[in-house]
Amino acid sequence: MILQNFYNKIIGFFRQAETEQQESSKDTARNRLKVVLMQDRTNLTPELMERMRKEMVELLSKYVEMDKEALELDLEQDGEQVALMLSIPVIRAKDEEEIKAALEEEDKKKAALEKASEEADEESEEESDDEVDDDIDEDESEEEIEEPEDETLKEDDETSEDETK
Amino acid sequence: MSGRVIVITSGKGGVGKTTTNANIGTALARMGKKVVMIDTDLGLRNLDLLLGLENRIVYTIVDVVEERCKLKQALVKDKKNPNLCLLAAAQTRDKSAVTQEQLKEICEKLQKDFDFILVDCPAGIEQGFQNAVAGASEAIVVTTPEMSAVRDADRIIGLLEAKEEIKSYKLLLNRVRPNLIKSNDMMSVDDVVEILSAELIGIIPEDTGIITSTNKGEPIVNDEKSLAGQAYNNVARRIIGEDVPFLNLDEPKGVVAKVKKFFSGLMGKEK
Repeated sequence: MILQNFYNKIIGFFRQAETEQQESSKDTARNRLKVVLMQDRTNLTPELMERMRKEMVELLSKYVEMDKEALELDLEQDGEQVALMLSIPVIRAKDEEEIKAALEEEDKKKAALEKASEEADEESEEESDDEVDDDIDEDESEEEIEEPEDETLKEDDETSEDETK
Repeated sequence: MSGRVIVITSGKGGVGKTTTNANIGTALARMGKKVVMIDTDLGLRNLDLLLGLENRIVYTIVDVVEERCKLKQALVKDKKNPNLCLLAAAQTRDKSAVTQEQLKEICEKLQKDFDFILVDCPAGIEQGFQNAVAGASEAIVVTTPEMSAVRDADRIIGLLEAKEEIKSYKLLLNRVRPNLIKSNDMMSVDDVVEILSAELIGIIPEDTGIITSTNKGEPIVNDEKSLAGQAYNNVARRIIGEDVPFLNLDEPKGVVAKVKKFFSGLMGKEK
């Protein structure tokens, strides 16, 4: 019986050493759960994350030249909060001319879009009076989102112009 | 008298909502509180079985709602404890037979005569859940230390937090297996509490006694030797505001375990 006990202890020691090397199934479960809950809590599906990643690439490409495939966008636990971590491998900073050109193109596109949406609004107003209220609400919310972008763009325009002068 | 309405919910099925309901209800009644349990799992009723009351049900909650009987007529008294009543679910109808408003009204009426109204919620997050939660101001979220149960509990907690009527919710961790936790094969109580960041109201160990007590239709809190029974009793005491420490589940239980511990202690000394 003493021998058996001794044998068990030795076996137990080696088993312990084995489990120390590998991640325990409990830790695997805990880590998988944490990741999946982060996604659940934000309502961001993998498709939406990919779309967000692509839009980030599009937005940032105006200012820097980067490795588009290597841009990583992940949700991570940062203490109590969930953080959106963005890692961008920059190849080189774009020069002023390039940035200016990209921004001008962007402004042109935006102006064209606005024109199109104005025309669409006029059409819908003609179609029905009841829906007018809804349209106004939607327009307001869209503007709210776009405003900060516009401001930053204007600022950038001014600074780049100043520098060229 | 204005009783407390507590909904017992989980999201995932099979984690022990109904068992929890039957045991907490029985434990509270044993402490002299007037308790009524409402089974809202229309079409899949089981609370009557766990309490051994399946042969006594004449009217169900649907009969009350459709005015075939008075609310008091539909309350089935427990065999042993006159403080305990059950309002059974209908077995032949679906979740749409009772609305949120109707359930709220029933809870409000029962609050006048009872200290506690325990609402047994069906699994899922659809209408059955919405109905069960409608009349409650407190919630107990039952989960087990398994990934799927914890994930579903997280979803439920999110939904409960969005409800203004729910003033507080607490977590009950069921079917805990200390041996598996020790060998790092099951998430620990701390892991689950950290992940869900919710306040704990009970830790119930896995206990084969639950199966036999269900077979007999007698809640395990009536068996004072059972560890799970003690744990459920402690939950009931915490509900009424007592400060009860959580059971130490690491201690070996049962004669065999004790003898083993004794001998392993001897062996250790010999060396």
